[in-house]
Amino acid sequence: MTDAVHISSLGVPIPPSASAPAIIEIVHLTRTIDTPSHRVEILRGIDLAIPKGQFAAIMGPSGSGKSTLLGLLAGLDTATSGQVLLDGVDITGLTEDQMAEVRGRKIGFVFQSFQLIPTLTAEENVLLPAELAGVGAENEKRARELLERVGLSERMDHYPVQLSGGEQQRVALARAFVTKPPILLADEPTGNLDGKTGQQVLDLLLELNRVEGTTLVLVTHDPGLAAHADRIITLKDGLVASDVLKAKA
Amino acid sequence: MAMIHSYWTAAKIAWRETRASSGRFAFVILAVAAGVGSLTGVRGFSQAFHTVLQRDARGFMAADMTVRTFQLPDEKQTATMDRLTGLGIRRTQITETLTMASPGPDTAPMLVSVKAVDPEAYPFYGVISLNPPGSLRAVLQPDAVIVSDGVLLRLNKKLGDTVRIGGQPFRLAAEIVNEPDKMTGSLNVGLRIMMSRVGLERTGLIIPGSRASERFLFKLPLTQSIGAVRAELKKVFAEGLIADYTEAHPLIEQGLRQSTTFLSLVSLVALVIGALGVATAIQAHLQQKMDSIAVMKCLGAKSSQILRIYLIQTAGLGFVGGLIGIAVGSLIQMAFPYFLERYFQVANVPRFDPLSAFQGMLVGLLTVLLFTVPPLLGIRKIRPALIFRREMAAPRRTARQWLRDTLEPVISAVVILAFVGLIAAWLSDNAQTGRYFAFAIAAAMVALAIVAWVLLRLLRILGRNLPRASGPVLRQGIANLYRPGNHAGAAVMALGVGVMFTLTIWIVQRGLLKDIIRTAPPGMPNVYLLDITAASKDAVYSLLEKQAGLEGKPEMIGAVSATIQSVDGTPLVREKLQGMARRYARTVTVSTALVEPPFTQILSGAWWEANAHPAEAQVSVGDQAARLLNVHVGSKIVWTTPQRTFQSTVVAVHKSESVRLSARIEFFLTAGALDGLPAIYYGGVRAAPKFVPGIQKSLYETFPTVTVINMAEVLDTIQGIVDQISVVVRFISFFSILAGAVILASSVAGTRFRRIREVVILKTLGASRRRIAEIFSVEFFVIGTVAGLMGGLLAVGFAWAVLNRLLRANAPPDWLALGVAVLGTAVLAVVTGWAASYRTLGQKPLEILRDE
Repeated sequence: MTDAVHISSLGVPIPPSASAPAIIEIVHLTRTIDTPSHRVEILRGIDLAIPKGQFAAIMGPSGSGKSTLLGLLAGLDTATSGQVLLDGVDITGLTEDQMAEVRGRKIGFVFQSFQLIPTLTAEENVLLPAELAGVGAENEKRARELLERVGLSERMDHYPVQLSGGEQQRVALARAFVTKPPILLADEPTGNLDGKTGQQVLDLLLELNRVEGTTLVLVTHDPGLAAHADRIITLKDGLVASDVLKAKA
Repeated sequence: MAMIHSYWTAAKIAWRETRASSGRFAFVILAVAAGVGSLTGVRGFSQAFHTVLQRDARGFMAADMTVRTFQLPDEKQTATMDRLTGLGIRRTQITETLTMASPGPDTAPMLVSVKAVDPEAYPFYGVISLNPPGSLRAVLQPDAVIVSDGVLLRLNKKLGDTVRIGGQPFRLAAEIVNEPDKMTGSLNVGLRIMMSRVGLERTGLIIPGSRASERFLFKLPLTQSIGAVRAELKKVFAEGLIADYTEAHPLIEQGLRQSTTFLSLVSLVALVIGALGVATAIQAHLQQKMDSIAVMKCLGAKSSQILRIYLIQTAGLGFVGGLIGIAVGSLIQMAFPYFLERYFQVANVPRFDPLSAFQGMLVGLLTVLLFTVPPLLGIRKIRPALIFRREMAAPRRTARQWLRDTLEPVISAVVILAFVGLIAAWLSDNAQTGRYFAFAIAAAMVALAIVAWVLLRLLRILGRNLPRASGPVLRQGIANLYRPGNHAGAAVMALGVGVMFTLTIWIVQRGLLKDIIRTAPPGMPNVYLLDITAASKDAVYSLLEKQAGLEGKPEMIGAVSATIQSVDGTPLVREKLQGMARRYARTVTVSTALVEPPFTQILSGAWWEANAHPAEAQVSVGDQAARLLNVHVGSKIVWTTPQRTFQSTVVAVHKSESVRLSARIEFFLTAGALDGLPAIYYGGVRAAPKFVPGIQKSLYETFPTVTVINMAEVLDTIQGIVDQISVVVRFISFFSILAGAVILASSVAGTRFRRIREVVILKTLGASRRRIAEIFSVEFFVIGTVAGLMGGLLAVGFAWAVLNRLLRANAPPDWLALGVAVLGTAVLAVVTGWAASYRTLGQKPLEILRDE
């Protein structure tokens, strides 16, 4: 079912079918948290390489470290040891502001609970990353186009509270793609939606991902959702338990 | 360009944020508006008043220049003034004194202030308007008087009726509608009567030594230099108060400056507390925005960008609050003339002062930004990973983080205090005041914070040890005070400051009046007699002795006006004296005493033998005069009077009970020292209040020129003045309480989400809405009670200290005020708390639980 595993330039295993260069490389990544009462080892040494354009699903039980890994990939959290390279740049040593800049240019986000800013309209939410990157004016048209593509052209002026869960997640999808990021990170994007709406959102996500040529890393509990991925990485107790690359159809 | 762009983007996002939650910021805007409003109002009116004083300076003085003395002019002074008249300078004299006016044989005479003018010349500037209209020259005949507003009512008379003054009948000819120099007069309170100088002569009220003020008004031709005339007058009126229109009125200007500084600082306190409220509100707002901030960081926002957004938002809110404050300030400005109208008739006060508005806005914005910077800097600490790992305990801090977290608030506090001190220094135009203010604010805040912490800590212990039988409402209500993000301490502190401030002023005001009324010791006179001539003193005394209702023996003391020429050979020159000592360079009142007066204590030396009549006079000096003049036993004092100069040796330093008549005299000389000098006698007697009008009437019938003062009337006047002042101060300090309420409301609003969760969980567990409402009410009630108790206790303590130590009054602590404060603050807290959280009660459990 799986092909033999190759080694990347950093010694990180890459499945042989993934011939494209790695856009995400993770080397011996650990994350430990010391609370006043005890020490929690969330990630205990992860090595991974994800090639450009790949759709990788990360699965695993609760507490296996999926969300922490996603957070470290986005530079939202600081690793205890190890490296994360995005497009060849080691982000583990970057300052918070440098990291914010990297996120603004390279990463799009889709969250389980949508995480729209409640005080902004749908259009303003979509435009926000572009505005923060200082390219808001050039992207107004794109924001509207993206909202049309997700079927919300009539609801651009609505506030999140006036939208259904599915609609909110579609706004979040448009927001994630507005700055044309090469990497899209998604944390249980259909987790808060019913089956039918979840499927619609997933279709849209995959469609946008295909059209925009983005590398997608998706964290999920749902095997049905993971089944759409090129590769399924399963974490357990802070380690990679399995890494399965699906054969191309 | 990039910077402008980033500020523009931040402003856009800030606007969107504010637009969607404008209601939530009402408290912030209100807090800023309150502080800026009081500041703008006070300074605006002060500036407007100053402008009016400058604009109408000649009118307010009714002259180009005035000289005020408390004696009739001597020959040298008259000669100088006559010489100036020869140079084309016009002059007119005004005499002001207190006396009795008798409305009729059946009514007790009343104390009135009389102003005698020459209607042919007065006023040089401004217009005196009368009702019914008429010219002063035509109306103010020698047998007529005109009266100020309210006099007819008090005398129970109408125009055309007659009153007797100094035993002479005067027709009530008109009411005074406007009097240009009213506020520069000596006596501008109480019942005021104006008569002509010829009329004054008819009364025989003015004799050498009378307690009267003489004011000379001068009108200069254009060719005359103000400075030269002033210098000329200064040479002969060394003791006189000379003022010219270029400085309006120095005493009023000085008073205005002092009150403006005081009220500005009171306003600054309100503003500081308001800013504390804004800071709490912003912190609460940021707590609610933590997710949004984390999301923005995920989307590529740098901390500095987000900081900019919220800084712009805060500044914008401060600006809007400032604008409303300026509008409120303009209203306050309009209200001030109403407070002062009894004393000053200020017409056409400018309604809006742009400079004060600008100052108010600047101070408001600066203060708000200063206080909100620390919570805003907290944005840096919000980690974007929060979205993923919300429920996990906070990681242990490193030593460096701990040091940074500890030092940051300390540095912030020092910087804030330094800036507040600078603002205070700027407002008061005095660096030292700024330092004191900053120090006082710091000390007060630290003291209040400690008291708040201790009280809340005690409550926590109490809450934990409550018996099961006390029920969940009380336990849960108290436990809620320690909910994360619940700024119970800050709310208690801010409310407490407001309560303390307002209550202190109220207690001091009330205590002072009560003290004046109550502390008069047995035997202390409550009826005073002024201007008794030497010829009539014995007759007055015996008449007084025969009066009904006396509660003690009448006191009578003679006094002569004299000037200290030198002390131990050193001439007493006003310029060389400092502070209070300067008053001894003017005429002082001296008396003779055959024996040591009662209620006197000898501090050093010894009183002379009874009836001693030494060749060189001996003198006993009051302790304060001795200290200020550096006089001791053995010192030589040379005295000057218009009649003669004589030397005296200090043989004793004494102290008199301040409430006694003898305390009015600081220098007692041996018998014979004042022989031949014109003496005026003063009397005092204690009488049952209901007999006082009878005593006044009886004395007036026989001695119409003797002024009889009923202390109750004086107290009425004092009460009126104190009331008006305290209304202004209370009005401004009320803003502090408002700011406290804002802080409470913000802190309640800041914990809204936690409250909603609690409501939902409690409902799911079967709690009724009523039960939940009771829990929250206990929480608000406790905050209010603790704040009221703390502020009230401190107010009672401060007021007691001010009254007993500073004002030397004898006022017991006002426990009733404390009770009212505690109850009032508790009610305010409950109302405010519910105003900020009533919606949480209506939450449906499922919609919240589904979101979890």
